[in-house]
Amino acid sequence: MRGFDFVAPTTLAATLKAAKGRSTKFIAGGTNFLPDLRHQHDGPAKLVIDLMRVSALQGISSSKGQIKLGALATMTDLLTNKIILREAPILAAMSEKFAGPIIRNRATVAGNIIDGGPAADAVPPLLALKTKVRLASEKGRRTVDLDKFLTGYRQTAIRSNELVTAVTFPSPGRNHKWGYYKLARRNAMAITVVGVAVVLKVRRKKVEEAGISLGSVTAAPIRCYEAEKILEGNVVDLELAQKAAEACAAVAAPIDDIRASAEYRKLMCEVLPRRLICQALDISQDND
Amino acid sequence: MATASKSKRTGKSSTPAYVPPKKLPISFSVNGQEVNAEAPAHTSLLYLLRDLGFTEVKNGCEAGDCGACTILLDGLAMNACCALGVQAQGREITTVKGIGTVDNLHPIQVKFIEYGAIQCGFCTPGMIVAAKELLDLTPNPSRHEIKAGIAGNLCRCTGYVKIIDAIEAAAEELSSKKGKGK
Repeated sequence: MRGFDFVAPTTLAATLKAAKGRSTKFIAGGTNFLPDLRHQHDGPAKLVIDLMRVSALQGISSSKGQIKLGALATMTDLLTNKIILREAPILAAMSEKFAGPIIRNRATVAGNIIDGGPAADAVPPLLALKTKVRLASEKGRRTVDLDKFLTGYRQTAIRSNELVTAVTFPSPGRNHKWGYYKLARRNAMAITVVGVAVVLKVRRKKVEEAGISLGSVTAAPIRCYEAEKILEGNVVDLELAQKAAEACAAVAAPIDDIRASAEYRKLMCEVLPRRLICQALDISQDND
Repeated sequence: MATASKSKRTGKSSTPAYVPPKKLPISFSVNGQEVNAEAPAHTSLLYLLRDLGFTEVKNGCEAGDCGACTILLDGLAMNACCALGVQAQGREITTVKGIGTVDNLHPIQVKFIEYGAIQCGFCTPGMIVAAKELLDLTPNPSRHEIKAGIAGNLCRCTGYVKIIDAIEAAAEELSSKKGKGK
């Protein structure tokens, strides 16, 4: 394989400067980078920049109702961080199902997004939380909505030599309701067959705001706007939950593969959202 | 090498001559011993360690799936195949040999032997390192927590039952030792 240059800066400014004008690829935990590297005979880029020592990209913080995950926040961080456990437990529930403990120690949330895979497990909960992606390059900084950032199968809106510095989302509030389900063939180290995330802000029994998203059933994980609209402003009962679930299934465009058939996936895109909405809102389901 | 032989086969003069990748100096510690090495940037930490003689770090899948290459990096369990060697600069690495030696086995290793949790032995180095991190973080794990803790380590021989039994017994031994120490 063709070699590459390597630098490991400690500041964001030095990182952006090093990337300026050169064919660059960034590495953090490496859990996608190294397996991918084996198939890249021309190498990933002329220069590889290690982000692991950039302190500005570390940490999980909360201020003015916004939660920020630094680009180096790992899946293990999501399982142990007090802010996440208190304000966005859906991310901890997702992380518990993400790969295995050893991968979780290194795999970053930002890396999972950048990889752009349809089965990226961190993405559905982040979509349901209405996450924004913060980007930086030597040309400047910008912020993009996560659902606009994901543009297709393994495609994102990232520009060359641009890196994710953080992802942010508004805290859904301590009394929000949520549900997450990863349907897969095993409990660990499995690629998701259908992933569903539901985040509901409820006030006086009415769903004020909803975030619902699906993974592994479209080219990139997708938000179900129609389903969200069906729930918002209403006291949700089984019938409405069913309507929302049908709206979820309507946007799913799954494929057949080694893990499951498209038909089964499509059916689960109705069953799982309904189940999660009902469980989150304490609605009894007799037909499930 | 591939580039050079290809140009010989095809006779294309446009193919650039093979230039060996530049080697970078890397210093880190393994099991408390300082190591100074040189390797091209694309060398994985797994290959770097094995080339330096730390062959207790096993090469299973090179994709982060099997856990045979599990090491501790600054105390955190990780797959050595999923990092570049150069990323280890200045870090402390622990392999299974740093957890216990033949003369002074760690209780996890003792219990693996006692319970017959080793068959072909290929997964054992990674399994023991993963078990070490698990017991450091969760001293009295339930059987479910043990299963979840070794979820990233594959074993094709034992069916896992004896491994889980061994880790359970090691946890008991370690916590009773701690109790006596107090």
